[in-house]
Amino acid sequence: MNDKMTNILKKSPGNKKGINQSLLLIILIVFLCIIATVVNPRFMRISNIINIFQQVSVLGIIACGVGMLLVSGDIDISVGAQVSLLGIILAMIIEKLGGIAPGEANAWMVPYAVPLAIAASFGIGALLGLINGIIVIKSGVTSFIITLGFSTIYKGVALLISGGASYMLFGRFETLGRGRVFGVIPVAIFFFIGVVILSHVILKYTRYGRFLYALGGNKKAAFVSGINTKRVTLKAYVIVGLLNGLAALILISRVGSALATTGEPYSLDALAAIIVGGVILTGGKGSALNIFLGVLLIGLVGNALVIMNVNPYLRGIVIGIIIIAAVTISNASSGKK
Amino acid sequence: MRDPSDSQTNERSGTSKLVPFPFSKGVTVLEQDIILQARSIYKGYPGVQALDNVDFELRQGEIQALVGQNGAGKSTFIEILAGSLSPDRGEIEIGGKVYNHFDPSISIELGIQTVHQENQLVEELSVAENIFLYDLPKTRFGFVNLPNCVETADALLKQLEIDIPSEKKLTELTFVERKLVSIAKAFSRKAKILILDEPTASLDRKGREILFDIIRKAADTGLSVIYISHHLGEIFEICDRVTIFKDGFKIDTSEVKKTEMTSIVQKMIGKSSSTLAVHKKANISAEDADTLEVVNYSRGDAVKGVSFSVRKGEIFGLGGLVGAGRTELARMIFGLDKKDSGKLIFCGKDITPVSPSDAIRKGLGYLTEDRKDDGLFLIRPIFENISTVLFTKVKSMFMDLKKEQENTAIVSEQLSIKTPSIAQFVINLSGGNQQKVVLAKWLHAESEILIFDEPTVGIDVGSKSEIYQLMDNLAREGKIIIVISSDTPELISTCDRVGIMRYGKLADILSGDQITEENVLRLSMGVE
Repeated sequence: MNDKMTNILKKSPGNKKGINQSLLLIILIVFLCIIATVVNPRFMRISNIINIFQQVSVLGIIACGVGMLLVSGDIDISVGAQVSLLGIILAMIIEKLGGIAPGEANAWMVPYAVPLAIAASFGIGALLGLINGIIVIKSGVTSFIITLGFSTIYKGVALLISGGASYMLFGRFETLGRGRVFGVIPVAIFFFIGVVILSHVILKYTRYGRFLYALGGNKKAAFVSGINTKRVTLKAYVIVGLLNGLAALILISRVGSALATTGEPYSLDALAAIIVGGVILTGGKGSALNIFLGVLLIGLVGNALVIMNVNPYLRGIVIGIIIIAAVTISNASSGKK
Repeated sequence: MRDPSDSQTNERSGTSKLVPFPFSKGVTVLEQDIILQARSIYKGYPGVQALDNVDFELRQGEIQALVGQNGAGKSTFIEILAGSLSPDRGEIEIGGKVYNHFDPSISIELGIQTVHQENQLVEELSVAENIFLYDLPKTRFGFVNLPNCVETADALLKQLEIDIPSEKKLTELTFVERKLVSIAKAFSRKAKILILDEPTASLDRKGREILFDIIRKAADTGLSVIYISHHLGEIFEICDRVTIFKDGFKIDTSEVKKTEMTSIVQKMIGKSSSTLAVHKKANISAEDADTLEVVNYSRGDAVKGVSFSVRKGEIFGLGGLVGAGRTELARMIFGLDKKDSGKLIFCGKDITPVSPSDAIRKGLGYLTEDRKDDGLFLIRPIFENISTVLFTKVKSMFMDLKKEQENTAIVSEQLSIKTPSIAQFVINLSGGNQQKVVLAKWLHAESEILIFDEPTVGIDVGSKSEIYQLMDNLAREGKIIIVISSDTPELISTCDRVGIMRYGKLADILSGDQITEENVLRLSMGVE
């Protein structure tokens, strides 16, 4: 084999242009929309589109946090349990403090209930992220296993403090989840889009974002290159926790009550959205735009099945097929084995 | 190791009849019986003749050393014997039969067993299971017959006088015990010819003696051993004959008793191969104060009190055998690994780094030994690989992406990294271009002190000479350069001075005309 030949051989996988992940997702989304519209034209109504966005906003906010973490090569599968726990805490604060009758001794606390709940949600969210991050770093064990453990712990704590009961907001905290700007666009959507844009800016334009890719690309090389890898990882977990705090606020505000299991489905749904969005489990690849599209796709499936009057229990099966198909296609087209 | 009189092994010794072993004590060995004869073996690769008309003979019961520098053809030869490579031409006679090539199963059938440098054992299994892994005894229900397995393994270990209880898990064993298990495993497959590839790597003095003892006893019973080692001292301790390979040729085979270390070294070097390097020795004035001082670096047995200094514009080489402590030293200097002691002084100031980021801030750069392992972000574009180090030095929150593109393009051009675009992923580049990307990231961050660890491993000749040229230019610009290399000609042609490390110590520093292949090898191997 001469030099030229080795060069050609080396180049061939690179020249084989992979299908752009964004394009693949958009094609899937359009395809799904067309089918849904053909079956039921109501699908394409503005109100339904807005509805879809509102439905996915909590998932989207969670997915952005976990997505950025996954870009750095670490994972957090305790996010669902974190959201549940935060939901319980903030609902308890609102029910207990906000529900004090006007004549009682502590009645002055009533107006502080919602601000306190918001502060608690962010503060404790950040704390949970910090704990996850510290243990992942100190233990040296794969983050999947550590956060699996924490997932059970957080769920346990949520059950313990709630006693398995549900806590009601009684309409004291509705704006975030149910409010609409100009009476049309739900407030939650602005937060969702805002978080997506923020994630995009972080990943694309900040040094911190670049370090996330570097860690995911090669953690050892990142360390040799002078990146404080532990600090980067820790921050990523705290960001996940903060975004979970926001997600819990929106979710509980929309639902109007909290249970110890309210957030549970979000762990796997967020992971599904991120993976469909082209972030690989080992990290080093992915973008906020694609995570956004992944979230949208997952949300669309649920909505479309309802609109098409198909058995909603099919959702899991369809999402499963989409995950496998999307990852297989993008894997095959990038020429990787 | 346990006491040989341990009861457990003795009790089981009576039940060894299950497996017929490869040798039995008391057999009279005819010293001169030739057990293996290879004639005119050729093996070529694109651009390299790995083996060129090699003849080789092995007598029964002898321990024959096989020595040569990196790339001499030793590995190719033993792979041919093991059946994992086929020679282009030539024949091998064994047991009266002549073969054109082996395949692994024939090789095993003929009793050729290789114990590789890296243990190929399963950590989570017991000694007995490891020994018989290729053919575990089964019960009639198809499960592993563990008692039988342990029994036979114990008997085998007893016969070899290896004192390890065979129920022990591999994780509980020391390095030397693992090596002994590998050898026992080879025996269990009825080895007649045992190939040991660097068996003493990572063993201490005592471990080596235990190993040698076992090898000698085995040879006494008729086993033939091909012993590959870089440590010439060992060869004089244990081997009967020594065969020297050089650039694919067999140079000589001689009785160890009738030869000397210096003559072995001479034959390993032979005529020097062509040199690619261009570094004109720096013209360093004595009063030049810009000096990097490496002061008394130590950590355990790996690095012991290493001190030297490098002047501005000088290329300082670090030679020695693999495992002599060079990479360990470099990693300590760069703040990557912990150290027991050591100071780094630059221009009279103490700049001892405590972490890589600290080292980078103080102007150090480290091109690691294995660029894929800890040098590059393979699935990220070239420009990101180049700019990352610089971004760890600045403190702003946002990056100037336009400037990043421009500046990394300039560096990439300066080092003539061959790529259609700097957005290309590094994984798609050739080894030489990947190495240039690693260099680019340190130059981009304006590192003043550069440590190159094995800079041209796995790189084609053209890129090699380009890298030498770059190193020369950098030295001329006044950068301080330390080069770690196992490629002796590389050290000779690129370095102004070469420090040789041996067993963690800096054995000596060669300069000027003293830097010869012979001196480098002698010092590396500890030949007086």
